[in-house]
Amino acid sequence: MKAQQLKIALRNCGVIDPENIQDYIAREGYLALGKCLAGGSREAVVETVKKSGLRGRGGGGFSTGMKWEFAAKPQSDRKFVVCNADEGDPGAFMDRAVLEGDPHSVLEAMAICGYAIGAEDGYIYIRAEYPLAIKRLKTAIAQAEEAGLLGSNIMNTGFNFKIYLKYGAGAFVCGEETALIKSMEGHRGEPVSKPPFPATKGYRGKPTNVNNVETFANVAAIINKGADWFASIGTEKSKGTKVFALAGKVKNVGLVEVPMGTTLRELIYDIGGGILDDKEFQAVQTGGPSGGCLTVKHLDTPIDYESLVASGSMMGSGGMIVMDEDDCMVAVAQFYLEFTVEESCGKCVPCREGNKALYNILHKITHGSGTMADIDRLKELSVVIKSTSLCGLGQTSPNPVLSTINNFYDDYVQHVVDKKCRAKRCRALLEYLVIEENCIGCGACKRACPADAILGEPKKKHFIDQEKCIKCGACYQKCKFNAIAID
Amino acid sequence: MEKVTNVEQLKALQSALSKEAEQAASKKVIIRIAMATCSIASGAKPVLDFFTEEMPRQPLEFIIKSTGCTGLCHSEPTVEVTLPGKAPVMFGKVDVKKANEIVNDYIKGGKQIEGILEVSRS
Ligand SMILES: Cc1cc2nc3c(=O)[nH]c(=O)nc-3n(C[C@H](O)[C@H](O)[C@H](O)COP(=O)(O)O)c2cc1C
Ligand code: SF4
Ligand code: SF4
Ligand code: SF4
Repeated sequence: MKAQQLKIALRNCGVIDPENIQDYIAREGYLALGKCLAGGSREAVVETVKKSGLRGRGGGGFSTGMKWEFAAKPQSDRKFVVCNADEGDPGAFMDRAVLEGDPHSVLEAMAICGYAIGAEDGYIYIRAEYPLAIKRLKTAIAQAEEAGLLGSNIMNTGFNFKIYLKYGAGAFVCGEETALIKSMEGHRGEPVSKPPFPATKGYRGKPTNVNNVETFANVAAIINKGADWFASIGTEKSKGTKVFALAGKVKNVGLVEVPMGTTLRELIYDIGGGILDDKEFQAVQTGGPSGGCLTVKHLDTPIDYESLVASGSMMGSGGMIVMDEDDCMVAVAQFYLEFTVEESCGKCVPCREGNKALYNILHKITHGSGTMADIDRLKELSVVIKSTSLCGLGQTSPNPVLSTINNFYDDYVQHVVDKKCRAKRCRALLEYLVIEENCIGCGACKRACPADAILGEPKKKHFIDQEKCIKCGACYQKCKFNAIAID
Repeated sequence: MEKVTNVEQLKALQSALSKEAEQAASKKVIIRIAMATCSIASGAKPVLDFFTEEMPRQPLEFIIKSTGCTGLCHSEPTVEVTLPGKAPVMFGKVDVKKANEIVNDYIKGGKQIEGILEVSRS
């Protein structure tokens, strides 16, 4: 049987009108909040979330119930609930979809969290590049306040909870919770070392609970249907479902939600429809810039926090990029490092300088001047960066490098020893050649060549001077006689 | 919306609203148009405009809803049509021309038309 999607976090996306609170209420909206306020003690709410086995969907996978418990414990005049909607992984848009399609599910869960930990203020830290999500959130907050489901004395239960928006400027590192809090306070978005954790000392020095959008989107369903229901879905240690933004060389690019424990193969072939143009699957990248590239031998890995880590990648927030035979894994590693170098906040040396060094070595390799010693150096440096960086960004940034070296070692060797790129992606390693039997000497390639690298008399075999060739590919495009080969 | 003043009232409101939605579904055509960032970028706005202009001219009871992302990025803009008492049907890559076909051939004419997507539901 084909694997199926199961929608919990996305239960209302595409079904309700997100700008109409009545649509949300019709589908049991705010009933979970009502249930908590009317019946459940704060402790009981925390206990339910704990028992459900829900773990953070923002990357770390920490038990949500335990996190709430930590934030509930300290006595404090003020506490805060923060929703992390910074979503910075390249290509990921799970959180945007939830906020645009079902904003009330996040608002309701934040209020439930506020009740559970004893907070009256919630903040959504959202990147300013999400204007539609911001608009719908604002509408939703206004509607919920008007309906008495947010604000002061909610449903006359004496519980107050207000939600505010804070805008991020789109720095990846600001998704890291301590940097996010710094940014909310108006400081530079730089991480600080933990402990203290936000649960004890967070926003404005007060106990703060930070959860991801998708984490929150599961909460009301758990309260309504019960912890046991949620815990019955998924695997032993990873409960519920996970939303993925499926992208790359897969037929059905899009947003999917599957039970934990679904295998990568089921996700890519049953739900994703297989590889585009029926090409050969080569790798799948999970976990974004902090994750790794998995290969054919990992296709039957069940998607859960532990299995993905064991196979050398991680769950991350839900980016999933499928690669086919035409992708060069060394170039992929270089792409992610380029992102990391750009996004490193620069506070600590291993991340700021180390990632730059990794990038430079990868650049050398993809440009034909790498050596075997460089591959060892990549590994050595990666280990140092991982173990000495201050925050999660640096602690995980070498993962794409390490996983591609582990799983595609031959590709690295081919780049440095043979100076060739199997996928023909690394331009500097390509060689454009005239296939003599096919060339009729029409001269089209010669006229197109911007580097004057093609020699040959009209109606005679042409010839490419490799010294001059800048590998632009114009000759290949122009030749109508299949007489140019790329090697 | 009126203020909800206690939890019991919320429960009553919920069951009234869900009943209302059920009843509507039993006699009205429900058209859901995905209006997420990705849908709008691929051209959902003119499709929504077409339905909101065209449907009132039809002798049919209907509801048009703009929703969020359906997850079917590969086929945006998407439009889901539920005829009274029937299972929902999802159309992909809908433009104004296709929307016209949906109204005239599928909704009014009751004919099967091309462009239906297979969606896994839960
Ligand atoms: C570099 C970096 C970027 C991060 N970006 C995000 C993000 O965009 N969204 C998010 O929810 N969590 C992000 N996180 C994880 C947060 O630090 C934090 O663990 C998370 O918001 C906690 O919520 P959860 O327990 O519900 O997952 C990031 C972490 C790091 C190290
Ligand atoms: S690891 Fe990188 S992003 Fe994190 S604090 Fe250090 S320099 Fe900044
Ligand atoms: S365009 Fe092709 S056929 Fe013409 S001269 Fe160049 S290689 Fe030969
Ligand atoms: S690849 Fe570009 S530079 Fe090289 S021979 Fe062909 S046209 Fe000239």
